[in-house]
Amino acid sequence: MDITTSIDVVASEPAAPALVARVANLTKSYGSHGARIDALRDVTVGIRRGEFTAVMGPSGSGKSTLMHIMAGLDSPTEGRVWLGDTEIGGLGDEQLTLLRRRRVGFVFQSFNLVPTLDVEGNLLLPFELDGRTPSPREREWIDELETVLGLDPRLSHRPHELSGGQQQRVAIARALVTRPELVFADEPTGNLDSRTGREVLQVLQSATRGYGQSIAMVTHDPIAASYADRVIFLADGRVVEDRPRMEASEIAAFMLAMEQAA
Amino acid sequence: MSGAGPASGVREHGSSILVALLSSAFGVALLQITGVLDDAIRADPITGRSTTVGIMLTVIAWVFIAIAIYVGSIVTANTFATIVAGRARSIALLRLIGSSARRQRRAVAREGLVVGLIGAVAGAAVGTGLAVALERLAVWADWLPEVAHDWADPGLAAPILAVVATTWLAAWVGSRRVLTVTPLQAIGGSQPLSLEEARSRPARNAIAITLFAVGTATLVLSMLLGLVTPFAVLIGVVGGILSFTGVVLGAHLIMPPALRLVGRMLGRSPSARLAAANALRYPERSSRTTIGVVIGVTLVTMFGVTVASFRLLIEAAQAEQPEVYEGTGAMLDGVTAVFSVLIGVSALIAAVGLVNALSLSVLQRTRELGLLRALGFSRAQLRRMILAESVQLTATAVLVGLVLGTFYGWAGAQSLLGSASGMPGIVAPGVPWTILAIVVVSAAVLTVAATITPARRATRVSPITALAVE
Ligand SMILES: Nc1ncnc2c1ncn2[C@@H]1O[C@H](COP(=O)(O)OP(=O)(O)OP(=O)(O)O)[C@@H](O)[C@H]1O
Ligand SMILES: [Mg+2]
Repeated sequence: MDITTSIDVVASEPAAPALVARVANLTKSYGSHGARIDALRDVTVGIRRGEFTAVMGPSGSGKSTLMHIMAGLDSPTEGRVWLGDTEIGGLGDEQLTLLRRRRVGFVFQSFNLVPTLDVEGNLLLPFELDGRTPSPREREWIDELETVLGLDPRLSHRPHELSGGQQQRVAIARALVTRPELVFADEPTGNLDSRTGREVLQVLQSATRGYGQSIAMVTHDPIAASYADRVIFLADGRVVEDRPRMEASEIAAFMLAMEQAA
Repeated sequence: MSGAGPASGVREHGSSILVALLSSAFGVALLQITGVLDDAIRADPITGRSTTVGIMLTVIAWVFIAIAIYVGSIVTANTFATIVAGRARSIALLRLIGSSARRQRRAVAREGLVVGLIGAVAGAAVGTGLAVALERLAVWADWLPEVAHDWADPGLAAPILAVVATTWLAAWVGSRRVLTVTPLQAIGGSQPLSLEEARSRPARNAIAITLFAVGTATLVLSMLLGLVTPFAVLIGVVGGILSFTGVVLGAHLIMPPALRLVGRMLGRSPSARLAAANALRYPERSSRTTIGVVIGVTLVTMFGVTVASFRLLIEAAQAEQPEVYEGTGAMLDGVTAVFSVLIGVSALIAAVGLVNALSLSVLQRTRELGLLRALGFSRAQLRRMILAESVQLTATAVLVGLVLGTFYGWAGAQSLLGSASGMPGIVAPGVPWTILAIVVVSAAVLTVAATITPARRATRVSPITALAVE
């Protein structure tokens, strides 16, 4: 299979302003010498600012691993990682913690919310962690998110009182409240039915369209990926394809071809 | 986290075995020692005829043994409830493939029986060893005569069997939640299983409130009667037992509001707020975690306050007739020390329970801790959160115990000594400074000790856990 990494960046140059995050020659291996698994092999890729990017690929292809490393949740075995202009490869735990707190947002497949806090408490957590209360402008933004995501009647509910879709919407709102440079979402619709999943995807898409929120989303689902501005395909720890916006049917066909080639 | 392997069995049940061991060792050691004392008294030509002292010693010993075993059972029931909550998903899986809830529960209770057996037998050995060592020491120092003693008295089986039975029973009670686990929970959605244990229990609440009300009224009555006769203290003892039983039965009514109050005093930082919420996540569990410590602190404080009040009176009297009261102070000190140590064992058992409860709760929250790390909680913030949880539990238990103990102690002093000066009078409650200091220092040590393992574990949790664990 040919490797077509049509990325407009050269690894050794300083981060281009158009890229909100990037990795260069990234390799991630698990296990010791005996049973070594290369989850990522020499990956060089960038996430563009203001875009909704989908990362697709078969199970075990390294999607989650790539996202974890870009978000500073995990460390690379080889290669370099930048978030904006910051090279995060060499950062210590304390600095990575601050980076996660201030510069990125997360939406996971499930278990996104702190069970002991109500919806409002979960939404304000990113500010509280920083020891501050939202400014009036931020407060306006929070209110707007709450309204847009239909959370207003639910603010004093605890997570276990919400449906899966409602929980995901709260998670998205929380990822967006601080307007982070980049929001990472790992299969955010994986646990939802297709209608609720579509709602969640529309919210993500409109955050990008509406105010240029950069989003990187890992998914298995061709329909989910069709909401993105760009689709990156991984297979076997490598980037195998990088395309602008695709129809769900095209994506499905491509995935099928990839699996047959494998 | 299924608890199937022997290694995880030790990890899960280690503290319950320790609790059973402590209870059994305490019971056996205490009975062995009273037995030795009894033999020594019988061997004495002057006191030898009387059996009263021996019986009294045994009765007093059993009061303390019963308290220790009771506290131990509460701790064990709590531990099992927590373990079952952690296993809910694997239990649900077994239910899904056709195992009945009753069978699952019996299996858990059987683990309790094994835990009880191991702990009780090991405890018997430890207790006997301790008693032998003390006896040798006493003989060597000439405090006791060299008298033959039967170290294998059949009566020693009583505390051993009692520990086995109560541990088994506690496991049975603690595993009640197994019945509410549904097979659906195995395939269940995104939320971690929340086994909210707060149930309304009108009968138990009614009994607890009635006992407390009647007991406290009786206690007040005894204080009034105490103005005219020292025998009022006998009524007071009954009132105290009733009232305190009410408190223990109604722990789930008293402890959560107290925890909330203390939690609020910890401040508004995210660490403190999450800690406060965690301590109240399972109100019933927190109540049982803390009530053991409350019992210990209440009894020690009560005793200390009574003795300190008595001492105030003695000192006043001593000022007038020094020769009559010579040596009373030293005797009071001795009695206070012995009683405090005997009650202290129950407090120690409760402390083991508290340490274990915090540790288990952190273990079961791995994923949540990972989430907090992913969201930007620093390691220091996590550590502070766990410390705050620990402070909240111990401080609440100690404060409630101090308040109750001071009240009961003062009530006891008033009903016993209200008429002591020859005319009706109000006894000023004495402050047992030494005991207070020991309680506060022990509480601080307990707070820190309880956080060491969980904090280390929590700070090791990688943020990726939030995404991975299933
Ligand atoms: N902690 C780990 N230890 C060992 N191997 C790991 C670990 N995490 C991931 N791997 C391996 O790395 C490879 C990539 O895993 P990753 O989770 O990134 O895949 P993925 O594309 O997200 O798959 P899925 O679609 O199933 O979520 C897999 O082969 C996986 O087994
Ligand atoms: Mg994945």
